[in-house]
Amino acid sequence: MQAGLSTKNAPSIWVVAPHFLLAPVSFLMASLYLLFHYGALLGYHISAPVLTVLHLMILGWVTMIIFGALYQLIPVVMEVKLFSETLAYITLTGLVSGLFFLITAFMGYEFQLTNNFIIGGSLIIGAVLVFTINTLVTALKSDKKNMSKLYIVSSAIYLLLTVMMGLFIVLNLKYAWLTKAHTEFLETHVVIGLVGWFLMLVIGVAATLMPMFLIVHKIREDYLKWGFYLINAGVIIIFTITFINQVPEFIRVVAYLMILSGLVLFLLFNYDVFSHRMRKKLDIGMKLSAIALVLLLLSVISFVLVYFGNNVLGLGVGRIEIIAGILLVYGFFTGLILGQTYKTLPFIIWLFHYQKLVGKQKTPLPADLYSDRLATIHMYSFVISLLLFMAGLLFTVKLLLMLAAVAMVFTSIVYGINVYRMIFHKKQIIK
Amino acid sequence: MIQQNFTDEELKVVEVLKQVPDPEVGVNIVDLGLVYTVIKDDEKKTLVVDVTLSTPGCPVGDTIIQHIQTILEVTYPEYAVTVNLVWEPQWTPDMISEQGKMELNQ
Repeated sequence: MQAGLSTKNAPSIWVVAPHFLLAPVSFLMASLYLLFHYGALLGYHISAPVLTVLHLMILGWVTMIIFGALYQLIPVVMEVKLFSETLAYITLTGLVSGLFFLITAFMGYEFQLTNNFIIGGSLIIGAVLVFTINTLVTALKSDKKNMSKLYIVSSAIYLLLTVMMGLFIVLNLKYAWLTKAHTEFLETHVVIGLVGWFLMLVIGVAATLMPMFLIVHKIREDYLKWGFYLINAGVIIIFTITFINQVPEFIRVVAYLMILSGLVLFLLFNYDVFSHRMRKKLDIGMKLSAIALVLLLLSVISFVLVYFGNNVLGLGVGRIEIIAGILLVYGFFTGLILGQTYKTLPFIIWLFHYQKLVGKQKTPLPADLYSDRLATIHMYSFVISLLLFMAGLLFTVKLLLMLAAVAMVFTSIVYGINVYRMIFHKKQIIK
Repeated sequence: MIQQNFTDEELKVVEVLKQVPDPEVGVNIVDLGLVYTVIKDDEKKTLVVDVTLSTPGCPVGDTIIQHIQTILEVTYPEYAVTVNLVWEPQWTPDMISEQGKMELNQ
């Protein structure tokens, strides 16, 4: 075998698969929990049910699957082997055990610090610290210089920062160190988590994968470069002013505008890739990814409406805030994960079963390992669920919210069946 | 270098290579424009193929190379087969044949 190839850098299936095995369980648990507490969406958003669902989704579903997928994608983007698979197992153990304590703490959350918060938060910080070290050392080993690498490395640092801030916030419930409003720190925790960690990571990975999957060669590097500067500057400003008293409001507005401009550049990058693609027909993975990008756009528009509603028009727009959050977490994050699962997981499973058989026997292709029909079914139920959530929140109809939650439970079950079908695939030889 | 003219014997090799698909897109590597040169020397009993990949980070890259190596060794057992991975000239989507473009969108 010759230099420059990536299969030899691919991680063991045993590092990647457990993440894909556990993440659908969290997705199902979060959806079921929401089904039993959907009424909470119409109340104040910092409540025990909303925080429970949010943390199950962000840590148990989104972060869990990202960790698994990243161990597979880092060798593709950085063209080196992951620094340590042992560290990856340590991260997974810390994340799962930390999540257990944290979720039980949020389920009984009454604005008080409990031991479960401290144990769960500390375990997750430990897991994330190990993950960040693993990612940074891998990046140092790679001599590739590209925007994807910059985005991924930055996102790992922001992840560490946001989980540390999360623990800091709950500890403050007891020790009251802060001189500023609690909610301002919460806002910064959310911004660093959602924008610094998840969005930066998504942009970094998408910068390599979208052109690769859609067969596009000339990409708009300038969009990625300016997006990187703008989003980083915005997040750093938000973080910095959290610790400074009496900061003029316009600085916060400028920071959010920077983040918004970066997101618009990312959307333009994708628009450019999609419009120049050689592969016109989209497979199910790319269809779901395209839907996710539209949901990101809708979420950005909703957040702008929330800002203008609150600060310019003086309206109470709490429900639009929830809509924006659902569009981002249940819409964009989940849609992208549902889609990109079909662009990542089948390959590692396929390589595990068939790598040594190619050329000797006729083997299935990676796309044959999952059911396209099941994926199409959960694509529709996912979209229906989101539409029902929007309608239920806009018109305050609890029945619609319940149906939306049912559709999301259904989505998580069908998705889980398809993922498990891939993981437990038995070797087949085509005659 | 991309070979412009193939002998009849080399064209037979190209036909064999059409059995090797890119596992991601399901289209064969010849129609994707990934095969640059095929040199079959009947006197020396050597078969040298230069191929490229659509991207250096291609996660199934060496599986494709392995597939080419195996299928040529099985088809031409008396020949010494060498498969070279080359990056010059850089592959572009313009190298996909009309047949490949059609299959990509089926």
